[in-house]
Amino acid sequence: MQKYEKLEKIGEGTYGTVFKAKNRETQEIVALKRVRLDDDDEGVPSSALREICLLKELKHRNIVRLHDVLHSDKKLTLVFEYCDQDLKKYFDSCNGEIDQDTVKSFMYQLLRGLAFCHSNNVLHRDLKPQNLLINKSGELKLADFGLARAFGIPVRFYSAEVVTLWYRPPDVLFGAKMYSTSIDMWSAGCIFAEMANAGRPLFPGNDVEDQLKRIFKLLGTPTEDSWSNITHLPDYKQYPLYHVSTTWPQVVPRLNAKGRDLLQRLLVCNPSGRLSAEEGLQHGYFADLSPSIKFPADPF
Amino acid sequence: MAGNFWQSSHFQQWLLDRQDLDRERQADLKIMNEEGYEKCMIFFANFIQALGEQLKVRQQVIATATVYFKRFYARNSLKCIDPWLMAPTCIFLASKVEEFGVISNSRLITTCQTVVKNKFSHAYPQEYPYRITNVLECEFYLLEMMDCCLVVYHPYRPLVQYVSDISSTDDSILPLAWRIVNDSLRTDVSLLYPPYLIALSALHIACVIQQKDLKQWFAELSVDMDKILEITRQILHLYDLWRAYDEKKEIAAVLQNMPKPKTSPSPPPQTQGQENTNQQQT
Repeated sequence: MQKYEKLEKIGEGTYGTVFKAKNRETQEIVALKRVRLDDDDEGVPSSALREICLLKELKHRNIVRLHDVLHSDKKLTLVFEYCDQDLKKYFDSCNGEIDQDTVKSFMYQLLRGLAFCHSNNVLHRDLKPQNLLINKSGELKLADFGLARAFGIPVRFYSAEVVTLWYRPPDVLFGAKMYSTSIDMWSAGCIFAEMANAGRPLFPGNDVEDQLKRIFKLLGTPTEDSWSNITHLPDYKQYPLYHVSTTWPQVVPRLNAKGRDLLQRLLVCNPSGRLSAEEGLQHGYFADLSPSIKFPADPF
Repeated sequence: MAGNFWQSSHFQQWLLDRQDLDRERQADLKIMNEEGYEKCMIFFANFIQALGEQLKVRQQVIATATVYFKRFYARNSLKCIDPWLMAPTCIFLASKVEEFGVISNSRLITTCQTVVKNKFSHAYPQEYPYRITNVLECEFYLLEMMDCCLVVYHPYRPLVQYVSDISSTDDSILPLAWRIVNDSLRTDVSLLYPPYLIALSALHIACVIQQKDLKQWFAELSVDMDKILEITRQILHLYDLWRAYDEKKEIAAVLQNMPKPKTSPSPPPQTQGQENTNQQQT
């Protein structure tokens, strides 16, 4: 721990306190995440292990880099690359105004990070603006993999209590136990709309029922015709068939037509109908994205 | 995690070469001979297997735990940490990493006591001595020594794919090759070769046993047949060793010669730089 000088506390993570710190030798600024270890407990917490495991394997410019894991008696410290802020704080500094080119750039980077996770069979499961870090050069990085899971054979059953309510897809809200990459794609859609509106959340529900009502009022209530077997989901409940009265230009007034098209392809109630991250990257919305963002010299 | 093996920490940091392994093992081989060392490693792999079965974890957890165990002693002498402590620690960590869930503290220790008493009293006549605090401390050293590379790729998945590719009507090949993969955990091959090659070697041996001609299929794979034969030789060497000795009778003497920690448990040497507090006491 002598290697780093603690500068300030940045926040509380899933399983410990996060500090900004400086490497005494290289002067590099890093983020230190301290993992609490309770003596007579589970040893190194599973959520910390999961994050260590996955970040050791996932090295990509749009995924926060784990530099080092330090271990001194009874404490484990994860050393991450430092980013100046998260997307939520970025919104706060926007004062309701956001440059639509920035939205495009962030969305592209979000999809690229997700495409990389998904190609490695990793689901993030907890995407929200607080978990997307932004550095000074406008790079966006996925962080906080404490709830992330590797998926693959055999198919596992996950608990429904994962994603923060606002970014949670209808299938999970209905108690779906077997979900896939589509869970992250819904969250990406919600974040896309929130970015386009400079930080106004799309579906700020208070509870599961309110959350589903908000979703169905905008997208229409799904039926067996649009989503087969929906009625078999564990927590399925009948909702009124809302008359959709809001148009997309009203929802995201500053987003252009191609952007609205991409958004609609992500926010599909039926998980099998959602665009994949890889497909999203190919969408026409990104056709005029600056090549420096699209084709960085060093992909890692 | 089912990611890309070629970008994994397993491939990048944990495929060792033979010379490297031999060099690290020199210190222990001054105290016991090579055959004794091999017998020790086989024995503790059996111990991990027995613990895993008693705890009813999946084979994947047992396999990962065994690889952790081998990784630790590939870089450390047996006298760094008592393998009787390292074995349950590897199971404890692997169970969390493989998302099998946390094994409760008391259950882990009780299982160690039961398994040692019922199945390994010929090798360890006393009561199992370690407590959960020892395991939790040991988990730290294990994590650090592996540089937190926790995701291990195993031959099982490629094996299943190869067997389905052969699309054989004979379904005895997969279970046999699967058992050979399990046995291969008692050799060094998981430290030396990528899992798909180990899978192919197991398949190769299974075919020879079943007298099944897959020469054409192997030829079309365009893999390095020399590597497959190297792995095959190491697995066959294990079977030779097994056949020629009675573990139950002989293991006590082998373990007697094993390098032992002076105090238990003690940190491996490379971690001592950080713990300066100890110096004040001496």
